[in-house]
Amino acid sequence: MMQREVYLQKNTRQWKDFIANYLDLDVRKYKRALKKFNRGGLFLFAFFLILALFPSLFAPYSPTERFISYEAPSTVHLLGTNDIGNDILSELIYGARISMMVGFASACISTLIGLMIGLCSGYFRGTLDELLMGFTDVVLTIPKIPLIIILGAFLHPSIWTLILVLGLLSWESIARVVRSKTLQLRESGYVKSARCMGFSSFHIMISDIFPNLIHVLLPKFMLATASAMISETSLSFLGLGDISMKSWGIMLSFAFSRGGFIRDMWWWYIPPGICITLCVMSIALIGFGFEGREKENEKRGVDAE
Amino acid sequence: MRKVVKKTLRYAASFLLIVTLNFALPRLMPGDPVKNLIGEDVYVSEAVMEELRIEMGLNRPLYEQFTAYIGDLLMFDLGYSYHLHSPVAEVLRERIGWTLLFVGVSVLLGAALGTLLGAYAGWKPETKANRLLCYGFITLSCTPPYFLALLCLHIFAFKLGLFPFKGFYDVPTLGSVMHHMFLPVTVMALFSASRNFLIMRGSVIQEKGQLYALYARAKGLYDISILFRHVIKNASLPIITLLALDFGFLFSGALFTEIVFSLNGMGTLIYDAIMGKDYPVLQGAFLVIALTVLLANMLADLLYAIADPRVRRPT
Repeated sequence: MMQREVYLQKNTRQWKDFIANYLDLDVRKYKRALKKFNRGGLFLFAFFLILALFPSLFAPYSPTERFISYEAPSTVHLLGTNDIGNDILSELIYGARISMMVGFASACISTLIGLMIGLCSGYFRGTLDELLMGFTDVVLTIPKIPLIIILGAFLHPSIWTLILVLGLLSWESIARVVRSKTLQLRESGYVKSARCMGFSSFHIMISDIFPNLIHVLLPKFMLATASAMISETSLSFLGLGDISMKSWGIMLSFAFSRGGFIRDMWWWYIPPGICITLCVMSIALIGFGFEGREKENEKRGVDAE
Repeated sequence: MRKVVKKTLRYAASFLLIVTLNFALPRLMPGDPVKNLIGEDVYVSEAVMEELRIEMGLNRPLYEQFTAYIGDLLMFDLGYSYHLHSPVAEVLRERIGWTLLFVGVSVLLGAALGTLLGAYAGWKPETKANRLLCYGFITLSCTPPYFLALLCLHIFAFKLGLFPFKGFYDVPTLGSVMHHMFLPVTVMALFSASRNFLIMRGSVIQEKGQLYALYARAKGLYDISILFRHVIKNASLPIITLLALDFGFLFSGALFTEIVFSLNGMGTLIYDAIMGKDYPVLQGAFLVIALTVLLANMLADLLYAIADPRVRRPT
């Protein structure tokens, strides 16, 4: 112990060792874990997440407060004001929560459905597999956005129908990936032995196969979130979004339809667009990072235990 | 042979599902089906509504309605738009040509651009230029297509005045059409290329590690000829599948681009239909788009069989 202290006093600049010794927290371990992800994506994502969780800390005004409309950017309103006099910067910050919520909620729904269908068809095989995968292929050929447009037009636009519709229509690729992984896993030793010991199929699926699916599911989940966010902005652009919940897509749509574009107010429509792009990109980059790690693992044969 | 039967079955099922969806939606959605079938903003009296209900057969049992609906479809009767005062089929026929031309050209351009750049980026993924290219295309694929269109319109049409703002042509000559189409096609082609690029890059990275590439190198072939004569053939197979699956996605991207550039195609038609709650037009448009995508998928399956002899040969 004494030696250690002396060593640390000599090398006080190595704060990582210091923390590791005194706080029982190995920073390097976390750093190694962090390196496996795409760090740029992670930081951007953290930034947007904080914006979404605590918008009131960053926004200078409430998004519903009204000032003089159509104002150019100034020190009072950093990004100017829109047609009804809301501060655009505040609107932008409050919009993060709504856009991200739509993305994550609908990705949750689609991942759940894809997981169930893929797991069942991969585990039971046979006729059920043929039927479920046939159904998946059939759904895959139906163009999503036009169908969502029709549904959105018939149902009255609200954020919940949007989430539900987006979630219910984008599970096919997840189902396929889960199925192929399940087909591979069900031949492995531990699943076979579990079956010999007489566990029910349900139990095997939950406790033996599912934990091994998580690392395929996570990247797919992230990518589903990204595409759901893009779909949401597209639908909002058509006026099928929820006007009472101002997401970035609705801001863009309003800027286009309520004179922001004609009046050359770039500060109105460029920031939400850039926010969407960056946020989607950060999520997609994290997803790609997961996928890359997955491939490396396969190469090294980690899965083949 | 069994595979062909299975594929045909699947396409038949997709077709049936699309038609059924189109039939069921206005009848199942909340609200009066008569309203749902003629459009919400059309004002008619109660008596006329009852008349319409009988005329459209909405008081009959569902299976009879369905057979009547299929019969109408076979006669290319997609209903009547009370907003535009003309049959839906006619309206769609006028509009779809332009949209198909627009989508077709940009998909082909995008496929060529994405495949070539992707192959090159996958061949040497570690050089700085290729990494930059990769990040650029990731950014593009994460941008909503209409935002890209808005930016291009703002910069090239408003600020620099290089291109016209709207429409397909001033005078119907090839030069004018090309001048008008340049920006929208570029946007769509870039968008389509970004998706192909990422797939192609991954596919080439995987293929170049295979033994045949090593053998070709051992024979003493140049890098370029290994890439273009051997690797690219195998690596572009996933692109064909992707093109078919993506066709629907790109089609919908094209709708948004059309709205931004005020091109008189399906996109603006759908936009106006949503604004006016013109349900017959929306339904007709969905049916036509879905069938087009289905056809594109079939075409891709055929292409795949031609490009990959392993699919043709019975195993």
